[in-house]
Formats: sequence, C-alpha cells, structure tokens
Amino acid sequence: MNPSIPPSAAEYGGDEVSAIVLDPGFSTTRAGFAGEDTPKSLIPSYYGKYSSDGQKKLIFGDDVFVTPRPGLSVHNPMGNDGIVEDWDMAERVWEYSFKSKLTGPKPGNPFQNGLNDIPDGELPSEMEGVETDEKPLADSPLLMTECGWNPTKAREKTIDIAMEKWGTPAFYLARTGVLAAFASGKASALVVDIGASNISVTPVHDGMVLKRGVQHSPLGGDYISSQIRALFKSNSPQPITITPHYLISSKTAVDAGQPPQVKYKSFPPERTPDASYRSLLEERTLSEFKECVVQVWPGPNKLSAISPNGVSNEEVARSSPGRPFEFPDGYNQVFGVDRYRVVESLFDAKAAIPDPESASPAPTQSQTVPELIKAALNGVDVDIRPHLLANVVVTGASSLLYGFTERLNQELIQSFPGPRVRISAAGHTSERRFGSWIGGSILASLGTFHQMWISKKEYDEHGPNIVEKRCK
Amino acid sequence: MPPFKDEHILLIAPGSQVTLAQLGLPESFTPAKFRFPTRMFPAEKKGEYEPYKIRERRHEVKVSNGIHAPKEDVEMKDAEPAAQEGTNTASVTEAAEKTENVEETQKAEEEQGNEGNEGPKQETVEEVFYEEDVASDEGAIYPLENGRIVDWPCFLALLTHIHNTLSPPFHTPIIIIAEPVWTARDREAITQFVFEKFKTPAFSLMDSALAVCYGYGTSTATVVDVGKGKVDVTAVTDFLVNEHGRGIALEGCGGDYMTDRLLELLGAKGFTWEMCEQLKRSNITELLPPGTPLPGAAATARQGNNPAASASTGAFDGQAQTENVPRGPGDGTQTGAEGGNAEGEEDEGVLDVAAIVSGNTSEYLAQREKEKADKSASKKGAAEQNAKATRLPNSKKEKASFQLEEFVPLQEDGDPKNGSGRFTRQVRDIEIGVERFLSATPRSKTEDRLSNGILEDIATQIHHTILAVPDATKRSELWDSLIVVGNGSKIKGFTQALLGTIAQKFVLSPSATIFTSEIPSSFSTPLPTGGTNTPAPVNQPGLAHNPGGHGVNPLLVAATHANNTGAPNVHPGTPGMDHSTGLHYRSTGHSQTPTSVKSLKPPEYFSEWKEHGSSNAPGASGAGSKPGAPGGGPGGPGGPGSSSTGHGLEEAVFLGAQVAAKVIFVLDQGINKGFMSRVEYNESGPSAIHEYAM
Repeated sequence: MNPSIPPSAAEYGGDEVSAIVLDPGFSTTRAGFAGEDTPKSLIPSYYGKYSSDGQKKLIFGDDVFVTPRPGLSVHNPMGNDGIVEDWDMAERVWEYSFKSKLTGPKPGNPFQNGLNDIPDGELPSEMEGVETDEKPLADSPLLMTECGWNPTKAREKTIDIAMEKWGTPAFYLARTGVLAAFASGKASALVVDIGASNISVTPVHDGMVLKRGVQHSPLGGDYISSQIRALFKSNSPQPITITPHYLISSKTAVDAGQPPQVKYKSFPPERTPDASYRSLLEERTLSEFKECVVQVWPGPNKLSAISPNGVSNEEVARSSPGRPFEFPDGYNQVFGVDRYRVVESLFDAKAAIPDPESASPAPTQSQTVPELIKAALNGVDVDIRPHLLANVVVTGASSLLYGFTERLNQELIQSFPGPRVRISAAGHTSERRFGSWIGGSILASLGTFHQMWISKKEYDEHGPNIVEKRCK
Repeated sequence: MPPFKDEHILLIAPGSQVTLAQLGLPESFTPAKFRFPTRMFPAEKKGEYEPYKIRERRHEVKVSNGIHAPKEDVEMKDAEPAAQEGTNTASVTEAAEKTENVEETQKAEEEQGNEGNEGPKQETVEEVFYEEDVASDEGAIYPLENGRIVDWPCFLALLTHIHNTLSPPFHTPIIIIAEPVWTARDREAITQFVFEKFKTPAFSLMDSALAVCYGYGTSTATVVDVGKGKVDVTAVTDFLVNEHGRGIALEGCGGDYMTDRLLELLGAKGFTWEMCEQLKRSNITELLPPGTPLPGAAATARQGNNPAASASTGAFDGQAQTENVPRGPGDGTQTGAEGGNAEGEEDEGVLDVAAIVSGNTSEYLAQREKEKADKSASKKGAAEQNAKATRLPNSKKEKASFQLEEFVPLQEDGDPKNGSGRFTRQVRDIEIGVERFLSATPRSKTEDRLSNGILEDIATQIHHTILAVPDATKRSELWDSLIVVGNGSKIKGFTQALLGTIAQKFVLSPSATIFTSEIPSSFSTPLPTGGTNTPAPVNQPGLAHNPGGHGVNPLLVAATHANNTGAPNVHPGTPGMDHSTGLHYRSTGHSQTPTSVKSLKPPEYFSEWKEHGSSNAPGASGAGSKPGAPGGGPGGPGGPGSSSTGHGLEEAVFLGAQVAAKVIFVLDQGINKGFMSRVEYNESGPSAIHEYAM
C-alpha cells in the first residue's frame, strides 16, 4: 500500500448496537454490554444523600465509600427482600450504573440530562453518528433481571421505567435464577444464590422457573455480618467495636489483643455523617473480615457434632491455626474457632450466635440452606428431582465464603443419599459474583433475543401488563 | 497490509490541560515532541474552531512608519521567547534601560492619545487584520474537564488540529490514550471519528493506566494519576485493568486543589491564583510526610536563613522588616538564573535573595544608583548565602523564596527596543513561609468533604481500589507497586507524603499480619505452639530486641523482618511472594493487606526520561512549546542538582504509549488484537473497539 494514496472509500455501513444487561441487586448493581464476560460497570446499590450550601446532593457509585461528606446518610432503594421500595431512587441508581461507564456522561451534561434540546445543524457532520438523544437508552435494547418472587406490580413498574423514562427500543425481563443456570451452561438446574440480603433456591427446568419450588430466606451476607457483630460484642478479652477508617486520623501498631492506640477525628455534630454511613463503612471492614478470616466448617456433620473418632468437631476446629485480623483502629486479634461459628447458622439454625440487639430475628431451621433446598425440591415434580440434584449451581458473592461449597456438598449428600449430587460453582471469583449478569449477557447476545424482547411498539399497544405475558 | 513503520505511528495522549502528541517512534523513546494545550477557540464561523485566539484588530497605522508588527513577529515572540527574554535576562544596567523603555512607552502612549484626539489628521489607514494571539486563553473552550469529554465538537476539532499539524501519511496507525472516565459510547464515537475522518488503516485505544504500566515495564501495579482537577486510581493486574472499584476522576483532588489551598493561605497577603500556581510549581513548595514538624518551630532552622539573609541583603534598605510581604516588582533584577527559560515557569534560581528589590518601580529607580555601587558587594553576598542555604534542605527552612514571573501587558505596540512585545516579562522574588508546605491540607472553607486533605482522599481511594481487586493474592503486590504519575504529582514530596499517609492509616501492624496461633497476649515472648501445622517463624533470640519493634512483639518483628538476617524461614511453596506475605500465606490465599506499601521504581533504560525522573521542575502548560534551555541557576535548596525543563516520568503514560505502539503495531502487527484494522472496522463497526481496546 502506498502511504501517499488514500484508502478506498469502503466504509462501515450498518450499526449493530449490542444490548445492555442490567442486573440490580441489593448490595451492588451490575451493568454492561451483552456478549461481554464481566459487567463493565459495578456500583453499589447504596446511594448517599447530604446537603451542602443548602442544596441537597446525591452520591452514586463508589464515591460513597471513599469520601466522607458532612451529614451524609446512606440509603438503599431496595427492600430487604430484594424488591424495590423506592422506585424514584432505584431508577436513579440504575441509570447511573449504565450512564457512568456505558452510554454517556453523568447527569449534569446539558446534552444528556433531558433539559436541553439540541438545535439541528449545530453539530458538525462528523458527529452525526454520535447520540445526542435525550433519553439515555434510546438506541440500546435492555435486558433486566429480577428475583424469582418479584410481584407483578414491580415488574410492570420496571418496564414502565425502561420504556418511558429511558426510551429503550426493546426490553426483556429475566429471572436471576434462570440466568445463573445459563451462566454455568445449563438449561435445567437447581440454582442456589447466596446474595447480600437474601439466599434463594430456584429450580429451573428447560430455561423456565418452576415457580412453586422457588424458596428464599434472609440469611444472606448481611445476616452473616450481623452474626459477626454479635461475635464482636461477646468477644473476649474485650468487646470489639469497628471504627471505620474515616473516623481515624492515625494509628499506632499495637500487640494482639491490646487496646488500640489511635488518634480519632472529630467532626462538629452538624457535620457528622449519619449512623447509616458508619454502618455501611463498617460493612466494608466486615467484608474484609469475611474474606480473610471467616471459614465454613467443611463437614461432614455440623460444627456442634461429634466426629466419628470421638472428638467434637469444635475441638478439631479449635486446634487448627487461628487467623489474625486487624481492625481499622489498629486493634488486632487472632480468631480461632469463632470464625467457623459465625456462618454455622446458615446450615444449623441452633448454632446462631444470639444477639438481642440485632435487628434481624434469630433464624429458624427452615431458613437454612439445606432446608430451603429440601423445600424447593418438594415443590417440584418428583421425576426431575434427581436431575436437579445432579445440577446444583451455586452463585452469589456470599457463596465465596471459604469452604461453603464443600459444606453444602456434604449436607446434600447426607440429606439425599440416593441420587447423585453434583455441585457446580464457578471457580473464578467474578463468575461467581456475577452469575446472573453473565447469564443475561449470554441470553441477550443470542440471535433469538430479537424474538423474545418486547418492542416499544408492543408496549405501546398492550401497556405494561405485557411483561406478565411475555417474560415468564 | 504492509507492516507499519516506526516513523509513521501517530500517538495522541489527551489530557485536561495538555495533549501530548508525536509522529513516529524515535530510536530511544523520548518525552512527547508536541504539547498541545487542550483547548480550542471558537472560529468566526459557528461550529468551527481555531487553535489560537483570533483577534480582530482595527489598527490605525501611520503609513510612513510601517511598524505595525506583522503577525509572524508575534508568533516569533512566543515561539522563541528565549530571544525576547534575552532582553530582560539582564544585568542591572540592561534592566535600567528597560525601565527607561517603560517611560518611553508611557510617552508614546500619551502621544497616541493625543493622536486619537486630533483625529485623522495624520496619514493613517485603518486596517483590519486578524492576529493569532498565541498567549491568550481568553474565550478558550477546554473540551476535556476532569478527563471527561464535555464538548465533543471542540474535542474532535482538537484531534483534527493535531492530526493536521503533524500531517502524517495515510499509512499511519494511530494510538490514542483513553482517559479512564471515557464511557464505552465515548470510545466508540472516537473510534468512528478516527476511522472516518483520518482514514487510518489501524487504530488502538489504550487505557491510560495500562499505558503507564507499559512505561514502567510492569504487569501489576496500582496507578495513581494526579491530574489538574482529578485523580484516577487504577489497579492493573497482569496487564488487565480492574474496572470494578476503580477510582475514576476523583474530583477536587488534583493539582488545582493545591493551588486553591495556597491561595486560601496566601490570598490575604495579596497573592493571586496565578501567583499561587507559580509558587506551587516552584521547587520550594513541598509536601512533607505526615507527622513531620513544620520548620520554624525549631530555632535551628531560623538560624540557617535569617542571619545570612540579613547579611546579604543588608545593602538594601527596608529589607528586614518586610519579610513576609511579597516584594514589589523589581523589573529585570539580577536574574541570571533564568536564561533561556522558554516556558516561563521553571525558576530554579530561587536563591537570589540578594537580588530582591523592595518597593515599587519608582523606589527602584531611586535606588538604582546606589545599587550599582553595591552591585559587586551584593553578588558576593549572594554567593555566600547560596553556600549557607544549600546546607539546609528546603524542608528545614522556615522561609524560602521563589521567583515570580509575570507578563505585564504593555499598552502599546512598537516599542522598538522591546521587539514586538505586547507583554513584558517581570521577575521578582517572593519569600514564602511555612505555607508552602501546607498545600495539601484541608481547606478551611466549608467544603463538602470531611477528610483530612487530598492525600487522605487519595489514600482511601487506593485502599478501596485494591480491596476491590477480586484476586486477593494480588493485593499485596499491588500495595508494593504504587506508581504515582500525572503532572499534579510533580510537587516535591508528593509520593512520599502519600506513602506516609497510607502507612499511617492503612498499613497493618506486624502482629496482625503474622501467622500466630492463639496465645494469650500477656505472654511476652510467645513460642509457636506445638501440634499445629503453623509455619512458625524461627525463633532467633538474637533478634529479640530488634529496634524496629516499637513495643510490638519482638518475635513477630523478628519474623517479619527475617530477610534482614538472611534467615531462610520463608514459608516454602509461595514462590514469587515477598518475605512478609510468604510468612503468613494461608491456604485460601486471603490475607489482609497491606503489610507494606511501596512505590515502584521507575525504569532506567530510557535516558531521556531518566534525566528528568527525579526532577521536580515544574512543567509548562504552554502552547506547543519546545523544551527550552535549562535554567542554569544554582541548585535550589534541597532541590535537584540541576534544573531542567523536564517532563519526566510523571508523563510515563506517553512513554508507555510509545512502548505499546512499538509492540502492537510493529512487533505484534495485530496478531493479538492489539489494534483494530480498517477492514475490521468496516465489518463490525465502532462498537467492536471494545474487543481491541487495551
């Protein structure tokens, strides 16, 4: 090719826009383009609210973890059961999740915030292909996820937002359980999803949720956090309080178990962030604790049981080396058998660490993972039970607790000695965390997605209720 | 497709202030050849843009005189300021001439005024001509704001301007460094524009953090990019950018914050924002690691400076009383230090305290005679003071001075002695107290953040970003390979102060990180308990009183610092991990971090970058300026030995861009999808760039 001759004029003609997959969860909201292997955008579902100079301000995204603001309070548009409570804010949070990294500038750009019209002819010709539409999703089909027990009203509201507010040309609502099964390459599976606010068990058969079998209970990651807090309260030699980093100005190294030597920061009362902010940041420390310290008793049998050779399991756990953890204020301690106890109640409700002050009530045995699975299987046809047990898919970030799948395997083998039990859990951290998003990415990149979605025209004709008919 | 050649590759790295660009890869990679200010000016025709401010000037010109400076002259002035500065790089006598010039100018002005009144009696022609005013930024549009593209037409016009200026041949692959804040749609829009407007055969869009890693030759690092108004914090593992938890465009944490803070501190003393910006860029402004006492508390610091100063400046009256006040303009005082200082911002000769002239110009004129007499004496004094002051590092001195450089507009063109200058450059020395160490401290005004200054914000973001990396085994390495880049980080001591802040807030104590078994902490020297498979540290009695202990369990210290003794007690089976992580490595690989925090050593094999690597010389944001000659002044107090115009490794992103360009266009030639070719663009459209984007 001669460098001085311009290339031939063959140019790209069509515009194939890949769909956006939006997977809103209680703790985080995931968004990304269909066909990709991880969501490009991962933001906390929590948002911050504060006022500065008499103006109310909202914070979305990771910034809420990073910069403390005066009088900042933290909220979540989702209810504890995974159903949206505050629709206005849910819309804002979700919109931020795809606007910030995928489709366009954050709110504040006059071209995109829906306040200004762009006069024709203002844009140079090169810009013709660039979107200046008012609605953020005007040219992207959208696939959204929902939990298996989402009520009709919430589903209709969701399609209403997508069509009316975001202007998406095509929409589909899929259940997280189905998508998680897709993500591990199965059309039929028993999906065990360990999330932040909920754990759920969803039987999926040929890509359809078996509604009668769907089970869920609130023993998710946040419940484990409350167990850890209960443990800290009863800790010896002294109860542990978590002081988040933002309250600490500097710390000095101290010996294990010694009281912290730390310089605290002080804020004037009117500028002190709200308790909800503190608890969110405490949650950060707790997730670090879960990553580094917490371990699931691998089984066989419960932690409280006696192993075959006559030694109690607790004794065995005690003899394994402890794990140290340092808190933001420098206090550090080695955690021995306690690190097994905080998660034991996911399998054995009696093992729950009692905490009278805790907001969440003590778990019942029917809320534990093995019982949920039993209940789910009882809700489905007896013929497909063995097939489901051979395809147990474990997903959700809280399932990353060390030893969780081993224990679950032991429990299932004990509960169902007959059929073959096979657990498939993605080895890669992000595949486990984003199971339902990845399934959505697969589904929305298939050629058949065009036949599944609800087009804008259909929505206009039939109204929001069409979602009940089409997205089963 | 024929292979691409080194000399045909076009590199563009847009930033909020300066866009770096270069055509072709040199033998040894150099700092960017072109530095375009990231701004455009609206042109006459709506929707079009010009790279320079276009002024419409109606000028009444005396035909006979013909001194109306053609615009080439104006350009000359800025393109080669060295020539112009030759006039005020001056001895006292030259300065004197200049002051006379000013007088002349004033006279001329009066004359002009008279002319105006008298009307067109004289032979004058009104001429309208358009002039490119390269110095002005009036009405400029900055298309990038905190990295974000806020004005698309303007940004694309800038790209076109850069492309036209470098005028590459058609067979030119293009690599653009993408700001982290650009959305997927932004990237597609740029891809479409580049392919359809520039007809490039190959295009690559590379993440800036990744480019920095290429520049540093590392696969895993935490990149902290301190810009003008924002900071990006990115964890890169195995050449993969971790998008989740990435700190993108953390606002209010960049260089402008420090200037604003200086203005807040010094505004009461008559400083303007511009002055603070120059102060920030001078080498007396420094960030001290947290916990360092400010100088001035100690009397010793005082002694080093004041007696010397009074001794050397004794020749001038009124010097001593006005220590803190910015000195009046001393036009063209002894400023031998700033010879061919092209950018006008790199003042190294801050030690010319002796040359300070107090008072305003008229006072100065009155003093001139006296000065001449004292000249030789003062020179001696200056030398003396130099010698004394250099003994103390800047961080120990309570006061230090820097040279402020101002462009004072002249009312009138055509001062024959001053060339075509419409501006005259003034240099004066200003002494600053400890305020110069406080540029990163929290602002006193009600801000909507509660943190302790920007360093804490950045440290918190780094903590957040690293903790968000899913592969926990990489976190320790990320903490140990911090790369701080960006022109906002040029301020002296930035990296050290940041590391100090992290150490103070986040680094774990040895006792929390060592793999211990459950032992009551009342035992002063715990022994590894038997019966466990603890990879227990080897007990070394000789180390029981390790001075590094600071009240921490000495055994633990001995264990964590085991490498110092050469003891082979690193836990086997953890190759490639450093000693401290090796010791408490656990089966899950999940251990708490950070146990230590370090900055990564810059690469040493590119000599052009190395020279400037340690330099804190402030950079120019000026227009397309070529590197000027070094200042040649005496080494600043505690500063680098030689001054430089340097754009060093804070622009490692451009070094990385060159390395990457060489790799993906020349060596790899697209085998590993490093770039998108025109054929692929025609097939799949702009959205396919995400498959190639690095």
